[in-house]
Amino acid sequence: MKKLICVLIPFIITACASRINGGGGLYESSTHHFAVDIPAGWVQLNTDKYLMLSKEDPFLQYVLIQARPIDKPFKHTRKKLKPRMLPQEAAEIILDEISSDRNVVNFALVENIPVSLDGYDAFKVIFTYSTENSLNLKTIYYGLLSQERFYNIRYTAVEKYYFKRDIEAFEAILNSFKLHDAPAG
Amino acid sequence: MSKTIILSLTLLFGVWACATTDLPSVQSMDGLQLLPDEQRLWNRSKEEQERLNTSSDIYDDPALSAYVNQVAQKLFPEDLHGQELSFQVYMIENPLLNAFAYPNGVLYIHTGILARMENEAQLATLLSHEMTHVTHRHAVENFRTVKNTTAFLATVQVAAIPFGAYGNIAGMLGTVGAMAAVSGYSRDLEREADIEGLARMAAAGYDPQEAPRLFEHLKQDVEEQDVKEPFFFGSHPRLQERITNYNEMLRARYAGASGAKNTEQFQQIVSPMLLDNARLDLAMGRFRPAERTLTRILEGEPQNAKAHYYLGEVCRQRAQADDREKAEAHYREAVECDPALPEPHRALGFVYYKRGQLDASAAELQKYLTLSPDAPDRAYIIQYMQQMKSD
Repeated sequence: MKKLICVLIPFIITACASRINGGGGLYESSTHHFAVDIPAGWVQLNTDKYLMLSKEDPFLQYVLIQARPIDKPFKHTRKKLKPRMLPQEAAEIILDEISSDRNVVNFALVENIPVSLDGYDAFKVIFTYSTENSLNLKTIYYGLLSQERFYNIRYTAVEKYYFKRDIEAFEAILNSFKLHDAPAG
Repeated sequence: MSKTIILSLTLLFGVWACATTDLPSVQSMDGLQLLPDEQRLWNRSKEEQERLNTSSDIYDDPALSAYVNQVAQKLFPEDLHGQELSFQVYMIENPLLNAFAYPNGVLYIHTGILARMENEAQLATLLSHEMTHVTHRHAVENFRTVKNTTAFLATVQVAAIPFGAYGNIAGMLGTVGAMAAVSGYSRDLEREADIEGLARMAAAGYDPQEAPRLFEHLKQDVEEQDVKEPFFFGSHPRLQERITNYNEMLRARYAGASGAKNTEQFQQIVSPMLLDNARLDLAMGRFRPAERTLTRILEGEPQNAKAHYYLGEVCRQRAQADDREKAEAHYREAVECDPALPEPHRALGFVYYKRGQLDASAAELQKYLTLSPDAPDRAYIIQYMQQMKSD
């Protein structure tokens, strides 16, 4: 899934997303009820389905923030998230979704732990995978269930050089993440 | 990726001139001499196979692989001996029911379709069908035929679109593989493969009455999973048509014929793969096929702790009517069969946790951590245990 997003996103964005070369600052989504600080120099690629940020090029690194309806079907697993799931159970479904995608090659789970995100129970998974062209990518994926939405914040970058270089910027974005509505869980 | 496939298909088609669609089979040729476009197809096939065979998609079970290839050798027609054509079968770790052949004799079978078979005769049906596509040079005929038809556009679209829950198979396989695996062949070519394949498996001593059963399994899967995507074995009406064709052939040519089924040997060899395939079905949320496979394992091995555990997981994740109770019962059975298996203890720990039986939950979760000190979800378990202590 991640690879597909990585491959398609630059094309999709050109077609239907608004692209803001801003100097950073607060981003607020009234539709999806969250806010984050965007670091200076990061390009904001915005659609009604997600917010994507990239420093240079989504092929090298991107941060994706998405609030998807809990009952929205996944592409590669027929399992569904449920509002009162434990973070571990939600993480299990996300991992099934990613590992069932036949485009994700050499998928390897590095870490799967419970975390707190903006004060709410969440999960954090780290995994690596390869593209067809043997490009090795690494992803940090945070997820939390809030009422009718599943919020996820992902950072994907080329494992060599870019992942380490831009992780601080990602952490700054993550730490600024705020939900406007009080999640039920 | 989609653009690459469309471009590849266009180039493949584009360089071919209009040609006949009725090529002689390899058996009828005096030495295998590939036509220029056929040679190009073989070259492309080899490139795609190199990529596929080194990917993590290949299912690695040497015993099963040797067995499947032995069955293929039994089906290898004598009149092909000495020709520059041989068959090699690989298995792809994928729970979906599919199989396909490259024109150079390399066949791929998904673990999903192997898991649905009941005996060696059904495996022979599949292999002989695929081998006929090779010996009768259907790939090159198919490419030539669709070039000048509107099917070309449909084929390109089929090869290029993502398949949702069915994975981006076209992207994984490449152009030639996608044509064989996803688009399939024309009705006439499939019919020829059915007729010749049935003759081949019967001549090798297998029971021809088993042939339509393979397609009945496929039809059942299409119905259960509500498969809408075009796929190698076709749509529901085409599957029904093929079952009817098989039954007609059996009545007309093989009435009263019987042969080997080799059920016991087949079951014994595929058994280790069944659990792996059920786990893949479970990950994709294909609960019914997972349940059917696990139940089948338990019929042969009632003390298989892992099968009980996964059956418990099917029930827990499916969460229908009395699934919660069924899940707990399977977890308990798993613990009884193998108390050293960590996962059922974790599962029972969660059952008790959600029910508010905190002491029992903590005890099971502790057992899980003791049995699996490096568990990837250790942090969650410790967190739950700490929460229980503080409650």
